[in-house]
Amino acid sequence: MILFNVKEHVKYNMFVLTHSLPQSVDPIKCTIAFFTLSSLDVLDMMDSIEEKKEHYINWIYRFQIEDENVGGFKNDQCFENDIAKCAHIAGTYSALNNLLILGDDFKRVDRVSIIKSLRQLQLDDGSFIGSKKGTENDMRFVYCAACICYILNDWSGMDVEKAVDYILKSISYDGAIAQGPELESHGGSTYCAVATLFLTKNLDRLSSKQRDNLIRWVVNRQLEGFQGRPNKMWDSCYTFWLGATLKMLDAYEYIDQERLENFVLSTQCYRSGGFGKNSSSDADPMHTYLALSGLSLLKTHKCNEVMPALNITYRAYDHLQNVHEAWRG
Amino acid sequence: MGDSSDEEFQNSESWVFYRNRDDWKDVEPVEQEDGGEYPVVSISYTPKFKDVYDYLRGVMKIGEKSQRALDLTADAIALNAANYTVWQYRRDILKELKSDLAKELKYIEKVIQRHCKNYQVWHHRRVIVEWLQDSSKELKFTQGILVFDAKNYHAWQHRQWAIKTFGLYEGELEYVDSLLRDDIRNNSAWNQRYFVINNTIGFVDDVVSKEVEYVLEKIETVPLNESAWNYLKGLLLHDKGGLSNNVKVTTFCEDLYMSGNRSPFLLALIVDMCDERISNKAEDDKYNLKRASELCHELATTVDPIRCRYWEYMSTTISKKAGCESGEDAEGGDGPEEAAAAGASHDV
Repeated sequence: MILFNVKEHVKYNMFVLTHSLPQSVDPIKCTIAFFTLSSLDVLDMMDSIEEKKEHYINWIYRFQIEDENVGGFKNDQCFENDIAKCAHIAGTYSALNNLLILGDDFKRVDRVSIIKSLRQLQLDDGSFIGSKKGTENDMRFVYCAACICYILNDWSGMDVEKAVDYILKSISYDGAIAQGPELESHGGSTYCAVATLFLTKNLDRLSSKQRDNLIRWVVNRQLEGFQGRPNKMWDSCYTFWLGATLKMLDAYEYIDQERLENFVLSTQCYRSGGFGKNSSSDADPMHTYLALSGLSLLKTHKCNEVMPALNITYRAYDHLQNVHEAWRG
Repeated sequence: MGDSSDEEFQNSESWVFYRNRDDWKDVEPVEQEDGGEYPVVSISYTPKFKDVYDYLRGVMKIGEKSQRALDLTADAIALNAANYTVWQYRRDILKELKSDLAKELKYIEKVIQRHCKNYQVWHHRRVIVEWLQDSSKELKFTQGILVFDAKNYHAWQHRQWAIKTFGLYEGELEYVDSLLRDDIRNNSAWNQRYFVINNTIGFVDDVVSKEVEYVLEKIETVPLNESAWNYLKGLLLHDKGGLSNNVKVTTFCEDLYMSGNRSPFLLALIVDMCDERISNKAEDDKYNLKRASELCHELATTVDPIRCRYWEYMSTTISKKAGCESGEDAEGGDGPEEAAAAGASHDV
């Protein structure tokens, strides 16, 4: 049995959070913050940043753009609003998650702007683009939109029926779900689609045959760890993407959890802490988080379990209930 | 963690900082505002990166759309190709200057070759092709990328978009076929095969029949290839008889099993055939509950033990289906024993 090296993972995430990172992550700062903050949450180490929470919250709000057309949160800090004023759907998704993890009261979140701007990102086919300033459209952004509406408790941000239609049209002949209609099915897009159906309470739109085929495809992805597509290599990030998919489909028990756990633990990076894609790769924030959140689904280690559809801990999810309660109040 | 910096590709010795260039003296560089006293997730920018982005912020602030600003975006992109704001500004300039888009297509070709797993670069190419309304280079271009990674999702996505938008189906099946000859396990190529047929001749009876022959031949070569088995099941979606009434397929499977082959995908398909017959109340001496149970057991214990709990579940589900239906036939309702049995198996 390989040891789960909690201390090293805490160190790794603290390092990412507070030290200098490579230039390549420049445009996705808010998402990198989500990976590290949520990692610390899964590791039950939020206390270690207690004094800095307020500072982090203020930092997150610096990404916000209050505007009813291009509103939400940016994902980078390269350009101030007087230079380029446009939010990104992944920035908004990551920022809201960060605020939940940090226990913010959401009082400074411009909900109206976010929802009104979000609605403008949905295309006729039901999918979403990432930003008004021109980006691709696919299942990732459909998922981001669903999370944003769910967290803000306001579904006027998207045409749910159209999004569901896009998802159903993206089901491949092999039973799993692609980034868009007729594309190759993929573990990541399958997660995004199933989580969207879950959050919008539309999982029952899958026929029992579709559900059976989907479960078959996902369980077949397990080699030791999961691969993302048939005949590809295993990768620690699918521990979450596909593990969470099975949880939402009530089928997590059909995989070999012990072998999955051994695989994930083998992707721990001993030099730096954190997790890599496989046992011979360097750690990075994304694989670290998805390996940890995937591991939390196994419930075999002392860590905070992640809510599969939102990909934040149940602790942060409980805080969301409080926020919603306050809004109703 | 995404694309590595491109600085190494540029000749650093001859590099002159923008702040030292005479022809940039008129632009006021704008520094990035970072996170205050203790920055969060801070980036360690190189002096060159900072210089380029300071001047880019400078021109964007005054909205300058000029040739030198266009060249500056290329420098910024070389340092980080994933910044969608920079790409958008570049497109704004291209539009304003009415730049030569054929030249832009050549430029983005080079950038994609270096960053072929980046979303922004592919999106840029798509926009340029849309503006040009010229798709003549897309097949050859994506083919070049697929030489290095035949499963590159972005390349396939772009290729499908171009084929669909501009009707470039001709020759695609031959291309797919050549990829499958190179690597019979290339799942992307199998998906593309399905895509092409679905959008051209369609899965009419004789096409299904020909495709079944094609895929069975491939399965025979490598029976452990899941991609081919999935394609076969995809074909049978179009067979009015379902999974278990295509004589070519059933004969092939029975022969393969008899020859001693124990590919999990073979056994799984026969389980599905039995399942279908049970659901349709059309069990026969080959496809029935007893066989399904035996195969599930074989899968769970020897052929596919990593999924033993799944196959146990399948076995229970199929038995339940058979049980319930025969119960209905006999008595027209759930007896207490059946309900108890169903409840018990549900807990497994």
